[in-house]
This record gives sequence, C-alpha cells and structure tokens, in this order.
Amino acid sequence: MANDKENLTRRKFLREGLWGACLAGTGTAAGLSIARNNRDNTVWQIDPYKCIACGNCATFCVLENSAVKCVQAYAICGYCDLCTGYLVPEPKALDTGAENELCPTGAIKRTYVEDPYYEYTIDESLCNGCGKCVNGCAAFGNGSLFLQVRHDRCKNCNECAIAAACPSQAFKRVPADQPYLLKKVDAKE
Amino acid sequence: MHRIPRRIDSSLIVAALLIAAVVTGAVSILRLDTTGRSGSGLSEEFAYNLQKLAAVDPDLILYAESGLRVSTGFRQSRAIALDSSGRMYVAGDRAIGVFGAAGNPEKLVELSGEPRSLTVSDDGKIYVGVGDHVEVLSAEGQQVASWNPLGDEAVLTSIAKHKDDVFVADAGHRIVLHYDAAGTLVGHIGAKNPDKNVPGFVIPSPHFDLAVSRDGLLRVVNPGRNRIETYTRDGDLEFAWGERSVDIKGFCGCCNPVSLAIGPDGGFVTAEKGLDRVKVYNSDGGFVGVVAGPAQLGKEGQLKVCNTPEECQGGGLDVAVGMDGRVYVLDVTDNVIRVFAKKEAGR
Ligand code: SF4
Ligand code: SF4
Ligand code: SF4
Repeated sequence: MANDKENLTRRKFLREGLWGACLAGTGTAAGLSIARNNRDNTVWQIDPYKCIACGNCATFCVLENSAVKCVQAYAICGYCDLCTGYLVPEPKALDTGAENELCPTGAIKRTYVEDPYYEYTIDESLCNGCGKCVNGCAAFGNGSLFLQVRHDRCKNCNECAIAAACPSQAFKRVPADQPYLLKKVDAKE
Repeated sequence: MHRIPRRIDSSLIVAALLIAAVVTGAVSILRLDTTGRSGSGLSEEFAYNLQKLAAVDPDLILYAESGLRVSTGFRQSRAIALDSSGRMYVAGDRAIGVFGAAGNPEKLVELSGEPRSLTVSDDGKIYVGVGDHVEVLSAEGQQVASWNPLGDEAVLTSIAKHKDDVFVADAGHRIVLHYDAAGTLVGHIGAKNPDKNVPGFVIPSPHFDLAVSRDGLLRVVNPGRNRIETYTRDGDLEFAWGERSVDIKGFCGCCNPVSLAIGPDGGFVTAEKGLDRVKVYNSDGGFVGVVAGPAQLGKEGQLKVCNTPEECQGGGLDVAVGMDGRVYVLDVTDNVIRVFAKKEAGR
C-alpha cells in the first residue's frame, strides 16, 4: 500500500497524460507491419532502457533514411528552458538560433508553453535516429527523448541490420499489436 | 621482324576474372562491418561529446579524497546529514543508516515508508521526510512525532532546521514549507508572486534542495533557473546567485545544482548531475574551487543507462559539510559515501 502511494506520488509529480500524442497513429502502423511480414506476428523494437544511443541506428538501417526516430515522452519531459536535448552544451542563447541547436538536422522544434516552460517535438521527416539529442537529454535531463523503430517505414527485415550492429542488445522482437516499447512514468514495462 | 601473335587462352582470362571477383568480394565482406564494432560512421557533428567539458583544471581542485569510504548498504540511497560529532546519517530504501565518524555502522532505524530527505538538529533529533509527511525521531531512533500529511503530490526532497524553524522543500508542490519545531505550519515560501519579485520555483525533476545559513537566511536551489535564492524566514526574496553555464564556475543542465550544503565558514558546497561536479563557493556565491570533478568521482565518460524512469530522472549526489570543513559526498547510485578534505598548502 505504501508502495502504491509512492508510485502515485511520483506519477502525479511527473504529470501523467500527454504521452499518447507522441506516437500518434501507432495502431495503423502496427497493422501495416503485420501485413508486410507475418513472422510470428512480431516486429523489431528498441528497449529504451538498454539503448545507449550509439549512433548505429542512423547508419545501419537498410533504408536510406533510417526507420529509427527519436520520440518524446511528454509525461517525463521537464519542459525545460535550458533543454540539453535541444541546445548545444554551451549555447550562446536559450533560443531557436541554428547555432544553439544540438540536432544536426534541425529535427527538434521548440515551442513556448508558458514562462519558463517549452515543449519539444520531433519532426520525423528530418530525424535520422542519430541519438545525439537522446544523449543530451539523458546526461542532464529526465531522459524523455529516446529512440524507437517507427513501423510506418520499417521493412521488418527478418535479420534487422541494426539489431546485428547494436552494441547493447537493445533490439528485440515484440508483438506486432504492441509494437512500441515506451518509457513509462511509473514502471519499466 | 615479325611479331609472333600470342593467343591468350580465354580460360585464363575467365580464371583471372574469377579470382579477382573472389578477392574483391572477400575484401568487401571483410571490410563490411555488420557488427557495429567499428562505430556508426557518423561524422563528428552527430556525436555528443562531454569529454572536453568534463575535464577540470587540476589547479582548481582544492580537495583530495580521504581514505574513508563508507558503503551505505542501501539499494537506493537518498540523502545524507551529519550531526555535531561527525556521525553520518543516510536515508535510503525504507530506513536511516547511522555511521560513526570513522565509518563504522552504528544503527539502522526502520521507517514506515521511503525517506527522501533528513536533517539532524543540535539536540540529536532526526527530522526525516517520509512519503508525504515529516517524521521526527529521537536520537535513539524512536518516533516522537509525525506531522500532517501534505497530499499525494508531495515529494519532500530537503529539510533544514534553524533554532525553532524547520524548512521543508516540497518538489511536488514546488514550494518551501515553513514549520515551527512542534510541526505547526507557519507559512509557505517561494510561490510565484510578481508583486514581491518572487519568480517561483522551476523544478523539472525531483531535485530541490535547501539549507539555512547561520544568520538564519534560507538558501533554496531554484534548479530550473540554475541559481540559489536567498529568503528571509518571512518569505522575502533577498538576492540570488548562480550562473547558468557549463563553465566550471556555473551550473548547467536543467536541474542543477542538485544539492547544496553550507560549511562552517558560511561558504557553500554544491553538487551537480550530468557533469558530476562538487564545488565550493564563498558566502557571497563567488566561485572558490572544486572539491571533485567527474574523474575524481569515478563518473568520467559514463553513459547513462537506467533501468527505470525514476533511475533515469534520479542519479546525482547529495553533499554535507562537517564542522571541520570536510565534504561528505553521497553517491546515490553507487550507494557510497566519499569524504574529501582540503589539500594542505603546497600539495
Ligand atoms: S544500435 Fe542499439 S544502442 Fe545504438 S542507438 Fe540503436 S538501439 Fe541504441
Ligand atoms: S539529434 Fe539525431 S536523433 Fe535527435 S532529433 Fe536530431 S536527428 Fe533525430
Ligand atoms: S528491420 Fe530493416 S527496415 Fe526495420 S529498422 Fe531494421 S534494418 Fe531498418
């Protein structure tokens, strides 16, 4: 009971709720994957608690633009002005100037919410899954940015080229009807 | 002179081509990295490298680790406090561990819930934040009081006592609670109030520390603004110090400093996460030097891999300062206390 209370407290502190928005359309995506490859009705996914954002996801995918993208767990994000996933470690200013942006492809958008909070969203068409922002967020922030295989583009290869190259065994097969391994506020799985 | 036309055997050409193809294939297979061991091949602009920033000028490091290293025995250590005789009190798991000044375990006081913060008063009483309320224990570890619960959202990350005042940092409600020693709530400090020029606390993660200096002024970390704010016991904001920067003099990231303590000379000791650094500032907030950087704390080049959301948000260090000026650093992930003493002049 005491433990339940601890969890509840933590959940409340971390603002439950906005999470669903970040992977909109996952149901459709899962359907597509199943149609493409029915192997055990499973698809590839990254365990966010094992991934060390090594960069291999950006270059080892058989697709020209990797199927792995950065996603945002809004319920965990601190909405920080000084976002270390968005800003270079030594920003000249806390603003959207290109010289201050950490993401080499400009895939992260910063939107003012209210003083002093900002929301960070990923433009997946620009993201190559390099994981630079994931490292920045994990080092100083709450670790709300993480990598996921996006099933609207993944070919669900029998032998995933990234899985073979992953140094931390973060790639695994998951049920196609639950194709994402999300970071949750209150539990690992 | 006649040249004798040489007829090249076509089977030789085919054989040569075959060998060349096999060699080329073998070389490309050997060169093809399917294991990822040769790295991603991404250019430097895609790398997140803190190595350069983690380096601390050795001349700035004014402290050295003493031989004393104490394992807390907890799975999850949370906070450290010292009493006037140098005894160490560590809150962790669902208990408080008490260690003698030499690091010898003295006592384990079981608690009803998970503690996050504690302080020890001059009379030996232990004030501990457990779940949503404060508990007061005698020096022997018997519960003498349990104050009113503060609601499900309360996350009590720091407690300090000065004379008859007890200040409690509640990260969940982003406020400091002011109690008297009997547990009567006197008031709230730090709520956003533009008329009084109080900006409000910005707390992206459950790191929200405070301390009281000998003059009775309350020093509160505003982690989202990377500064330390000074309040009177009536809640008036007097001044703030702290520079937002990755430079050694400043605080960087969204939640730093994660810990604050006040030394016997009135100066401050701070601890940061991300770039794990423990530093000293004078009583005006001027940078004095470094107690330990990432290398001294054994955190250099560590990639953060966490197993639970709380672990991902947590980590970090808690600090306390002894009457002799020694700095006690609690590593909440490695569950160990490291003690640093000022280097002798000339060393
Ligand atoms: S290869 Fe593995 S560790 Fe590297 S970024 Fe991809 S999932 Fe993470
Ligand atoms: S830094 Fe890399 S992983 Fe992050 S949004 Fe940009 S391209 Fe994607
Ligand atoms: S399964 Fe194929 S398409 Fe999908 S991430 Fe792996 S290599 Fe890329």
